[in-house]
Amino acid sequence: MHEAPLLWSALLAYVVAGSTAIFALALERRAERGILGLLALGLALHGAALAARWIAVGHGPFITLFEILSSNIWSLTLVFTLAYWRVPAVRPAAAFVMPVLFILMGWLLVAHPGEGHFPPTYRTLWLYVHVGLGKVFLGTVLVAVGLSGLILARLAAQGLEELAFRFMAIGFVFETLMLVSGAVWAQDAWGRYWAWDPLETWAFLTWLSLAAFLHARVAFRVGPRASALMIIGVFVLAFLTFFGVPFISTAAHKGAI
Amino acid sequence: MKALASLKLTAAALGLLAAGIAWAYLERGDALACLVAPLALLALNLAAAILVNSTFRRQLPLLVFHVSLLILVLLAAAGRLTHLKGRVELATGEAFTGELLDAEEGPLHRRRLERAAFVNEGFEIDYAPKWKRLETRNTVRWRSARGEETGVIGDQTPLVLEGYRFYTTSNKGFAPVFVWQRAGAPAERGSVHLPPYPVLQFAQQVQWTLPGTERSVTVRLPLDEELIDYERSSGFRLPPRRDVELIVEGRAHVLAPGATLELAGGRLRYEGLTTWMGYAVFFDWTLPWLAAAAVLAALALGWHFWRRFAARPWQEAL
Repeated sequence: MHEAPLLWSALLAYVVAGSTAIFALALERRAERGILGLLALGLALHGAALAARWIAVGHGPFITLFEILSSNIWSLTLVFTLAYWRVPAVRPAAAFVMPVLFILMGWLLVAHPGEGHFPPTYRTLWLYVHVGLGKVFLGTVLVAVGLSGLILARLAAQGLEELAFRFMAIGFVFETLMLVSGAVWAQDAWGRYWAWDPLETWAFLTWLSLAAFLHARVAFRVGPRASALMIIGVFVLAFLTFFGVPFISTAAHKGAI
Repeated sequence: MKALASLKLTAAALGLLAAGIAWAYLERGDALACLVAPLALLALNLAAAILVNSTFRRQLPLLVFHVSLLILVLLAAAGRLTHLKGRVELATGEAFTGELLDAEEGPLHRRRLERAAFVNEGFEIDYAPKWKRLETRNTVRWRSARGEETGVIGDQTPLVLEGYRFYTTSNKGFAPVFVWQRAGAPAERGSVHLPPYPVLQFAQQVQWTLPGTERSVTVRLPLDEELIDYERSSGFRLPPRRDVELIVEGRAHVLAPGATLELAGGRLRYEGLTTWMGYAVFFDWTLPWLAAAAVLAALALGWHFWRRFAARPWQEAL
């Protein structure tokens, strides 16, 4: 079983699913079952590609830019597909979510697929806990971003911001747990639970921005458009934390998740 | 009190905290003040809200979450006041007696490092090709109420004694062991720590002042070969040839293990070559309480949202 053909097939399935979602929304057609099927197919192929790489290199996709992008595309698609399947109101958001994933896919295609070193500090269960929680957090925020896209494009049914709020709230719980598990891991790995290194700082700023969003909704009764813009702001911060800081920071904590 | 408990103040304080963090991150100001001032405001705001806001009395999970946050802030402050963070290097066979190379500690930290005595019994480190460090296994020995104990620490596993946590680091190297006999004084045995290996493999020399004198000599370890194979899997090891070079007033003396050198003011005997390990030392009694409060906060938050969302199903949320 080779990684490359599986990965290419998965990306093709995602691209067809995303393109179909965009055209379906623009042309007001329904193609939900087809899109769900393509997303599920892509996830299965992509999961097999990740497994093939895991077996070949002897560790999970946690080290190189290529591995991080690939595993995040898979996890983000998985969270979105689950939401797409279980919450019908989320389905039109695919037209906004998939282009974000297309950007990551384009980046993946130019990333070097070579192996990286799996450091001894990664040989712990906390790696899986911390990374898993982080992926759920980013996935739920991405779903909220898709819903925000619908709100801003005035394609939404009334009250869609409540749904977006729910995904942000779930994201907040998972981000909190991600920070806690990361602190436990950092204590074990480096003998300090928090040192304000660039990744920790940006992750905490993201947590604060999410907390501010949740509070602002209660304190200021913000409207749907302002709420949507705030969600996109939180996502941009989270995106930069996940995919920007680790690759410009020289600190030990690369946060390659 | 109501003004202090305002949600708008919470939003402002969150903004201030974010700005303080960014300000400290960009090294534009005093990091402690940038964090402490908004955190204190948030803590006051939160405490007032817990007392005044009836929502907290109606919604237990929300109350638990916010009380946990308050406890977290207080614990973090207590931890900063009583913590210790330091470094120590120990040669193989050397005992830690409580002295640190350098340390940073809170004003209320009460040192009892001397009660955390242990002996470094040597280490093994595996390397993958290209000097990629793998597992570190450091054997340590200490005395407890149960008697003498030994254990292996390294990577994720610290030695915890008297609340102090000793972590192995990537900082390690070679240590020539000497016995220095000054005229009319008792012999002193100790080791000289050469620069870290392999990171400074081409700079294996150090200036050393002979104990009780003003005389400085250079101790150098000539290495004829690469001890950790760059191309293959390997491990940290002592060189097969363990002679050291002592440069005294511009003159080099090569000493084999067991050799003695007569110097003005005393006699120096080279006993042999061993290794040293650098340890990070950390003390913070709040760690388990911080973890418990943080987990409780997250679980309470999950409980709050679960109750809220379950009351109105997702399909009807629109």
